[in-house]
Amino acid sequence: MRHLNVFMTRSITMSTLLALIGGCSAGSKREGAYVDHLPLPADTMLTKMIEPGVYGGRFVIGATAGPKTFNSLMGNETSTTDVTQRLFSALTDIDYVTQDDIGVLAKSWETSTDGLTTTFHLRRGAAFSDGHPITSADMMFSFDVVMDPELHPSMQDGLTIDGVPATYSAPDSFTFVVHTTKADALILAHTGSVNIMPKHKLEAAYKAGQFASAYGTDTPPESLVTSGAFRVKSYVPDQQVVLARNPYWLGVDAKGQRLPYLDELVFLVAKDQNVAALKFHAGELDGLDNVKPEDYKAFTDNQQKEGFTLHDVGPSFNTNFFWFNLNRVKEAKDGRRIGEPYVSAAQYSWFSDKRFRQAMSMAVDREGIIRGPFYGFAFKNWSTMTSGNKKWFDPELTGLDYNPSEAKRLLASMGMKDTNGDGFLEDAKGRPVQFTMITNGDNKLRTDMINLVKDDLAKVGIKMIPSPLDFNTMITKVRSDFSYEAALLGLGSAVPSDPGMGQNVWKSSGLTHYWNIKQAKPETPEEARVDQLMAQNILTQDIGVRKQTWREVMQIVNDQCWLVWLPSQQMKLPVRSRFGNIQPSPMPHRILWNADRIFRKPSK
Amino acid sequence: MRTYILRRLLQTIPLLLGISALTFLLLQAAPGDFLNTMAENPAISGATLEQMRRNFGLDQPWYLQYFIYLKNIFLHFDFGESFSRHQPVFSVLRTGLANTLLLATAAAAVTWGLAIPLGVIAAVRQYSLADKGLSLMAFIWLSVPEVLSGLLLLFLAAKTGWFPIGGMRDLDHDYMSAWGRFADLMRHLALPAFVVGLVPLASRMRQMRGNLLDVLRLDYVTTARAKGLPESKVIYKHALRNALNPLITLFGFTLGSLVSGSFVAEYIFSWPGLGSITLEAIQTQDQYLVMGAVLMASGVLVLGNLIADLLLAVADPRIRYD
Repeated sequence: MRHLNVFMTRSITMSTLLALIGGCSAGSKREGAYVDHLPLPADTMLTKMIEPGVYGGRFVIGATAGPKTFNSLMGNETSTTDVTQRLFSALTDIDYVTQDDIGVLAKSWETSTDGLTTTFHLRRGAAFSDGHPITSADMMFSFDVVMDPELHPSMQDGLTIDGVPATYSAPDSFTFVVHTTKADALILAHTGSVNIMPKHKLEAAYKAGQFASAYGTDTPPESLVTSGAFRVKSYVPDQQVVLARNPYWLGVDAKGQRLPYLDELVFLVAKDQNVAALKFHAGELDGLDNVKPEDYKAFTDNQQKEGFTLHDVGPSFNTNFFWFNLNRVKEAKDGRRIGEPYVSAAQYSWFSDKRFRQAMSMAVDREGIIRGPFYGFAFKNWSTMTSGNKKWFDPELTGLDYNPSEAKRLLASMGMKDTNGDGFLEDAKGRPVQFTMITNGDNKLRTDMINLVKDDLAKVGIKMIPSPLDFNTMITKVRSDFSYEAALLGLGSAVPSDPGMGQNVWKSSGLTHYWNIKQAKPETPEEARVDQLMAQNILTQDIGVRKQTWREVMQIVNDQCWLVWLPSQQMKLPVRSRFGNIQPSPMPHRILWNADRIFRKPSK
Repeated sequence: MRTYILRRLLQTIPLLLGISALTFLLLQAAPGDFLNTMAENPAISGATLEQMRRNFGLDQPWYLQYFIYLKNIFLHFDFGESFSRHQPVFSVLRTGLANTLLLATAAAAVTWGLAIPLGVIAAVRQYSLADKGLSLMAFIWLSVPEVLSGLLLLFLAAKTGWFPIGGMRDLDHDYMSAWGRFADLMRHLALPAFVVGLVPLASRMRQMRGNLLDVLRLDYVTTARAKGLPESKVIYKHALRNALNPLITLFGFTLGSLVSGSFVAEYIFSWPGLGSITLEAIQTQDQYLVMGAVLMASGVLVLGNLIADLLLAVADPRIRYD
């Protein structure tokens, strides 16, 4: 496939020389400019944007798959949430540029001094796309669904603190109160993850136990009632979803014009990444939110000719790293005793030694990796809060970077030396120091990185055997049967990208605490300290305290080298220049987070 | 004939049962399950996954899951729900199947529409430059993988603007007249149909050529020529009809492979067929969706073979099924 890609990029460049771009900016000519006849709600939402726009236009974005459902509370993967986040709104949202909380259906809110009770005051005059008013009854309904133990949508985790579910009430039609038994810095992020769905349409299905299948993709578009800026205009399975404006939406610009500006927002499915790029170059797509670093150059060169801008979004929020398997048997079976490591005794003795892990981190030539698989478009990264994260990035946090001589010294201090002269080290007991590292083979960046890491480790005398696997096989090994030695993987970003959203990763009891998951109680003093700091981190709203505790967590993690960090990709996203208010974010929904503000600039 | 058809249809029941059991076993033997797709999301906790596993029934042993699956089919004709879409599997697969059949039919039209006339030309002018040239072309297409020919044609589309780059409909499809919509569909169908249709072209063309050559050597053709009939009449009226007979059988058998023949092209051309849905379902281990897709494809295969056998009887009066 690799040769094919190179071949493709060249052909794209060649093909564009012939200037074949058939513009597809139709959309508004059939309907004429939109005129807003409906009265604005009493409490409008003044929406922040670069410049006020004008009505009209169609924006077409490439999607790797169609949505699986239009039910915002049941959808999980991004091809679904990219669409449902445009269709439904919540009490609050975040500004994707500053990561500050902003009120959407809630006009304002206050938190009690003990931090346990948050009271939301709803905007008056807010309405669903069928004109039915949105009141606290809809909040009660949506929260009932989210907290339902049978349905158990993923948002329930955030609203369950230390095993105690949050409680909520609606004193009147425009007040909604959420109560937790413990203060939580991220309570707004969690309540804001609950999109409000229409009680008047869905209560019957919920009572009949059929909420999960309600608002599936088989629902006729005209009967989907939405609470967000858009509604569904048409849907063709696995091909396209066309969204149109919700005429009752409460967002307005500085001129008092109701949003959104676009007549149509289209998600066009192109499963193959190369085909999607081709479609973009031919003018069939206006935006693409997933471009490979190796294609950046071809895109950069064609900006003028094809009328688009390649926006430099900065370092991705997605991270890459590898780690060593420190998991130990938790229940005796298959002839294994409790407490016995899953890896061999020799490997456990190396992996559990901090010096070994530090040496591995110092063996990796990150600049080489950036030059290689990333074509120079990546940054060194030492935390899940990458340097693209304006709110949480901490320049003080660094890790043990490339230093092969120090790595060799550390390995020698553990008694490792090359006794048989084969170029690879043996440990103090004469056992050859070697291990395999798994990753998912369908991810080309990861397989390229694992091969470079192999070469780097060989230079300090460590024999690592890369083992690319099917994704499902890999996850099973990492999460349930632990039959692996080391693994290379990455983590995506939550919204907001906040350290507190990473409890599953850093707490020793977490499921994504890859190197030693679901510990009954912290196995080392360092793990115990991290648990304590993570708990403190979300107990307070004080950003100074939160940043300090987070720094301490990462200092421990990076000193221990539980995770050996690899570079993070620099993200560049192409969008046609004829659209205004384009502000792509590294967080999920990259180009689309402010789709209600995107507009087509009038042609001059 | 009627009893024969009935018998054949009854035979498919144990066959489909066997296929379903095998598919289910293979799915269960594959590591992980549907919930693995959420593994890279740091916000989903172990408790959530456990609850979802229970909700989907994935916590039960496999034989119990299979038993419940069969019970629902036989008692309620319920083939289960897709995990990711929360929809009955056949409502998910229905449009996919229709699109795949459309593509396959168009591809078959390309294959046979080209194979028969080209095969005739090659036979009539045996060993001529045209014969050799056609064989060469056909075998080049046979040996070029669909991935490559598909991408090459997409470049052609991008370069010339003659064809859309994949997909099945224009964004303005819904605003077009009936004729416009048909033309739009044909424009989108052309390239994938060409890619899928050209693969079997070589063998069909050679078969046509061989059959016609065999017939042309028979005595009655010599008789016709001796009678002084013009050569065109000899070939098209007398020889061709007999030479086509074996191809009718072959055509019947291609019906069976209709559904599975175009998976690769579907992916490259973003054609929303059964292939793309099945592939996605397998990758995410959307268990009952995979089962539904496999059963559907097997059903079409069995039906295609039955039609092939019946066509044989229609075409050749010597064959009787009683």
